[in-house]
Amino acid sequence: MAGEAMQFDAIVVGSGITGGWAAKELTEAGLRVLLVERGRNIRHQQDYDTETKAPWEMPFRGIGDTARYRQDYPVQMLNRHFTEFTEGHFVNDRENPYTTAPGTDFTWFRSYQLGGRSLTWGRQSYRWSDYDFGANKRDGHGTDWPIRYADLAPWYDHVESFIGVSGAAEGLKQLPDGKFQPPMALNVVEQHVRGVLAEKFPGRCLTIGRTANLTEAKPDEGRAQCQYRSICARGCSYGAYFSTQSSTLPAAQKTGRLTLVTDAVVEKIDYDPATRRVTGVRWIDTATNRRRSASARIVFLNAGAFNSVHLLLNSASEAMPHGLANESGVLGTHIMDHANTLSAMAIMPGFEAHTTFGNRPTGVIVPRYRNMDVMDGAGHTRGFSFQGGALQSTWTAGKREPGIGADYKAKLRQVGPWKMVLVGFADCVPRATNRLTLDSTKTDDRGIPQLKVAFAFGKEEQAALAQAKADAAEMLTAAGGHVILGFDRPGPGGTAIHEMGGARMGWDPATSVLNRFSQAHAISNLFVTDGAQMSSSACQNPSLTYMALTARACNYAVEQLRAGKL
Amino acid sequence: MAEREAAGWSRRDFFGGAALFALAVGIPAAVAQYADLDPSDEPSDRQRAMIAGVSQLVIPRTDTAGAGDVGVGDFVILALAHGLEGSRAPVAADAMPNLASFQRRDGSLRHLDWLEMQLDQRASGDFQKADAGRRIAALRALDGEAFAEGVRAHPWRTIKGLILTGYYTSEVGGSKELNYELVPGRWDPDLPLTPAMHAYSSDWTAVDFG
Repeated sequence: MAGEAMQFDAIVVGSGITGGWAAKELTEAGLRVLLVERGRNIRHQQDYDTETKAPWEMPFRGIGDTARYRQDYPVQMLNRHFTEFTEGHFVNDRENPYTTAPGTDFTWFRSYQLGGRSLTWGRQSYRWSDYDFGANKRDGHGTDWPIRYADLAPWYDHVESFIGVSGAAEGLKQLPDGKFQPPMALNVVEQHVRGVLAEKFPGRCLTIGRTANLTEAKPDEGRAQCQYRSICARGCSYGAYFSTQSSTLPAAQKTGRLTLVTDAVVEKIDYDPATRRVTGVRWIDTATNRRRSASARIVFLNAGAFNSVHLLLNSASEAMPHGLANESGVLGTHIMDHANTLSAMAIMPGFEAHTTFGNRPTGVIVPRYRNMDVMDGAGHTRGFSFQGGALQSTWTAGKREPGIGADYKAKLRQVGPWKMVLVGFADCVPRATNRLTLDSTKTDDRGIPQLKVAFAFGKEEQAALAQAKADAAEMLTAAGGHVILGFDRPGPGGTAIHEMGGARMGWDPATSVLNRFSQAHAISNLFVTDGAQMSSSACQNPSLTYMALTARACNYAVEQLRAGKL
Repeated sequence: MAEREAAGWSRRDFFGGAALFALAVGIPAAVAQYADLDPSDEPSDRQRAMIAGVSQLVIPRTDTAGAGDVGVGDFVILALAHGLEGSRAPVAADAMPNLASFQRRDGSLRHLDWLEMQLDQRASGDFQKADAGRRIAALRALDGEAFAEGVRAHPWRTIKGLILTGYYTSEVGGSKELNYELVPGRWDPDLPLTPAMHAYSSDWTAVDFG
């Protein structure tokens, strides 16, 4: 490794959800691939240190040292999945700073380690429909997607079959069915609400979340079925949810053609203006602080939407003074995140004689039903959907109740009353003013300019969440619930952890960064296949679409290589 | 610091206490030592005894051990020092009478000092030396005030929240008083619920959203 630069057929930057897929697809196609990960190595099964710990085995009972978190994890600690059990799977904010423009409140949740956020993701896996790929063209926001559902459908099949997605086929146009493993069951309250929606709200469907947790083992891949622990973000030695470690990395390693480098922060992509091709990448070995490099015939950027854009901006050169692949000037613009909030929480009486056993690692979804074939959005042109579920409270409810003594203790021993929660996720309109730039005044400890985020939701998202609040209350009330809480204002940008865009796909090189194969318009051997490529946000979780786009781009790149065109 | 040590309470004592507590509930001593305390957060002996006793009044011994029995008092001391349950966030001095004198420079509250004053006042004397009936009555009065309609934030809510956390995340509270199942292995979506069934401390969704 020391001395001369290493040479590969392909370099993949980032080992998260899409980087793992790129490594798998490219190595299985016969390419020698270097996978570069900025964070530490985390070995499947061996390094999930807190996986089996009980709260009483943790110094701060699983909650963690709030004082230390305020210093080191002031953003990450706002994530519900950030706990004392999982803190090792989240980035240290103090050591990895970013800046925000005046007026921007953006919580950037990050995981810098092998596997990236594939270890901590929510596993919700939904196909996008032509309502989503056609959204920009229909209402004029952003730029038209150069693909439609039919382009991606076979790649959704491919990805779902490999990662394992459990879910129920519903025949919905707005949320196409996939290659599902058997669904996890709705609980008794959710089943009731599903029935009420079917009866009283035509076009609205409550279905179980489609989640990348196995309900059937995949023994050929060394993966067992879900054990219903719902502590996925600690890492799962059963391999029961999709992560790089459990799924794509072993597949890539099995080929014998993968080279993995961790603790390697890529700072630049090398570009040769004579050939108009990228030639390789340069990184800082964080263990030694030495600079390294490697060259390859193609480069895939999978560093995560914002970090891929950061890398392109930081790879400016004399030939590309505004950033690599930024002849259009739109690199960094039109970033998005779903606007989300707790639309309604209701007490659900009538089910006091029922309970459940086990921890189902998914909730439910009410897919989009507004602004499809009839434009019925109040002040907005796109969609919103709900995720949530019904649950019974436990001891933490006692924190909100008066009482001391034996009676109080006896009450907290009981399984609590049923509640139903619906969290609204609204489509985020792509706007040029929501953008990433390099901060000209601040660098990190390695001397790399910090990424600066400018972001705000607009009246479309506000209107969508207002309608979501009203709809959620109406539905739960119709189901016999007593609504006790509901909000219509979005949380800060980044809250949904679906940040995307910045290197959008489009038809026109003058107004977009990537073509329909996630390939830079003017740099044929550069591909960006993470969330950065997204031209719109839809209102359902995007990771499955990133994976399908990655597999499709890999297939295209390999075909082009074989045809001698790359 | 010297005065504190002379009075019998020191960081070493806290480590000693934490280690004993660790032994009692099965935490490795090395883990307990993680629980460092800033000298300014060290409680007096009286406060340490008070919070252990108050914990036991909130969650008393029944057919399972009470909160004081399993060392929740020391957990609350640790948790208050490290800001759990929002306990190091600034409080509005005018939210309640007599808060200002218990505030740190950063606006956060010295909860144990405040609680000591509140309980002594309500017990019309030394809370620690009052009989059980007066102690319970004093604590009930404070609890009733903190959870009265319209009251949103209250220092006792913070302390009580930490007592519950300390108890139900202890081995006794989490796995004897309640059920604990790390690996359920299956999902049963609809089972009959009977009064004899105990809730699960390992129902993480319920813990988060309950």
